[in-house]
Amino acid sequence: MCALQLVADGVIFSCIIILGSIGLSLVYDIANFPNFAHGDLMAVGAFGAITANTVLGLPFVAAAVVGIGVGATVGVATERVVFEPLDVGPLELLIASIGVALCYRAVLIGGFGSDPRSYDVGGRGRVEALHEATGIAASPRSIAIVASTLVLVLSLHLLLQYTSLGRQMRATADDPDLARVSGIRTRTVTTAMWIIGGGLAAAGGVFLGLDTIVRPQMGFDLLLVLFAAVILGGIGSVYGAMLGGFAIGMAHELTPLVPGVGTEYKAAVAFVIMILILLFRPSGIMGGKESA
Amino acid sequence: MTAGTGLTDVGRSELPTEIVLELESVDGGYGDLQVLYDLSLGLGEGEVVCLIGPNGAGKSTVLRTVFGLIEPWSGRVLLRGEEISGTAPEEVVRLGVGYVPQVKNVFGSLTVHENLQIGGTAREESEGVIADLYERFPLLAEKRGAKARSLSGGQRQVLALARALVMEPDVLLIDEPSAGLAPTVVEDVFESVRTVNELGTSVLMIEQNARAGLGISDRGYVLDQGTVKFAGDADEILDHPEVAELYLGG
Ligand SMILES: Nc1ncnc2c1ncn2[C@@H]1O[C@H](COP(=O)(O)OP(=O)(O)O)[C@@H](O)[C@H]1O
Ligand SMILES: [Mg+2]
Repeated sequence: MCALQLVADGVIFSCIIILGSIGLSLVYDIANFPNFAHGDLMAVGAFGAITANTVLGLPFVAAAVVGIGVGATVGVATERVVFEPLDVGPLELLIASIGVALCYRAVLIGGFGSDPRSYDVGGRGRVEALHEATGIAASPRSIAIVASTLVLVLSLHLLLQYTSLGRQMRATADDPDLARVSGIRTRTVTTAMWIIGGGLAAAGGVFLGLDTIVRPQMGFDLLLVLFAAVILGGIGSVYGAMLGGFAIGMAHELTPLVPGVGTEYKAAVAFVIMILILLFRPSGIMGGKESA
Repeated sequence: MTAGTGLTDVGRSELPTEIVLELESVDGGYGDLQVLYDLSLGLGEGEVVCLIGPNGAGKSTVLRTVFGLIEPWSGRVLLRGEEISGTAPEEVVRLGVGYVPQVKNVFGSLTVHENLQIGGTAREESEGVIADLYERFPLLAEKRGAKARSLSGGQRQVLALARALVMEPDVLLIDEPSAGLAPTVVEDVFESVRTVNELGTSVLMIEQNARAGLGISDRGYVLDQGTVKFAGDADEILDHPEVAELYLGG
């Protein structure tokens, strides 16, 4: 396989990782715990979309929007029902989130079984024009994933930088007490954060299902890669999560380029990077609470 | 509580004007740790009142209790006679009270302008007030695009004050505005506090630099071990031999 092809695959995988890492980072930043249910929230979104698509018969794009809505709703509901009422420290919340992850997965397996499913939509073949021009084999699905991710990430950037809500989110992440002292209703901000984080996670899940296959375990399998991305970017920095997601996604797909290292080592690369970062630059490449 | 000092006890009758903010026999603290013991004090309309006392006396805890960051265990906090004990900070802001904490009082990752915009979160429109504040504090106008973390200590203190002023509060609580600042900067900060007061805001201020703090205040309270030991006019406190020896460094 040529290097260019691996780069293209890396970009697609990065998109999925980026969408997942942003929410993980947002939650860490504002709610102050690593949410182990975040990977499974991606799966929840993917199943929301597949239900809308294959059961209700909605066209894929509409089904994807439904999936994102389901992810956002489940994210907020979980916060309201589980995390917010728990008056405990980050470690206890982490453990609670593992329980939440198991619940999400149990519901998915119970409701849909463990068989893999795929969306009822075309666009699997390669785009010939692109293939002839560059030698890259990419499907219309992949191109749609990359384009949609760019739109979502750019929208988030605009929201964070140029709206009152985004400013309040950044202020709350920077210093929650001072945020309240300044008149920010931090509960509303937290809700918005869960909607955004859950929605983006669901989008990542939908895209992962589109790129590969939809199955209950899909998000959990990705969780440690998401953590690697978030840690690489600097825990609690949304922009760091984007950068970390990109770097980890690329590293993951480019591994076979290293002589003597086969594709079977793909998954290990993310963790090697994570460990190295924790050893040598624990604040991550964006240095912790830099941007949001 | 102040028997034999020659200074007045804390009582409504001693307050010169209408009381805007009052603590009534407040006990409070953190977790199991009691910090405030039967503490009472008041802030009159248009006054500057200074809280002084040794480190750890509970001065900052008084302001945090008023602002709802911690709830009083017993006793009451009254704003214009209405009880506000335990009201959340984001709602206390909406009642016309501002608070400038001692440390971590600006959002370091936000720009100066964004810090001010955040200060105006609870109002419909804040750009007009912010423009006025830029006129009053030209250094903020110069630095409006700079991240707050890049500001010097004095500039931060001014930004923290301005952030609270965007709401045009009737009552302002300020925790040690001069801490860690060079003497010339301290004067500027005190000058700003005076100006704020002249424009109609009642100010309850904590000041480590007791003489300077009392110098710009109408009245003062000396806190020690979580309760009021002395209360009186600023001049009285400054001239009181025992207070001077115990709390003003002779
Ligand atoms: N967040 C906190 N948690 C526990 N104890 C605290 C906290 N903040 C202050 N204290 C304790 O409360 C007491 C009074 O502190 P504080 O009100 O900050 O004093 P002051 O401002 O007069 O120096 C001190 O003994 C301090 O250790
Ligand atoms: Mg203090």
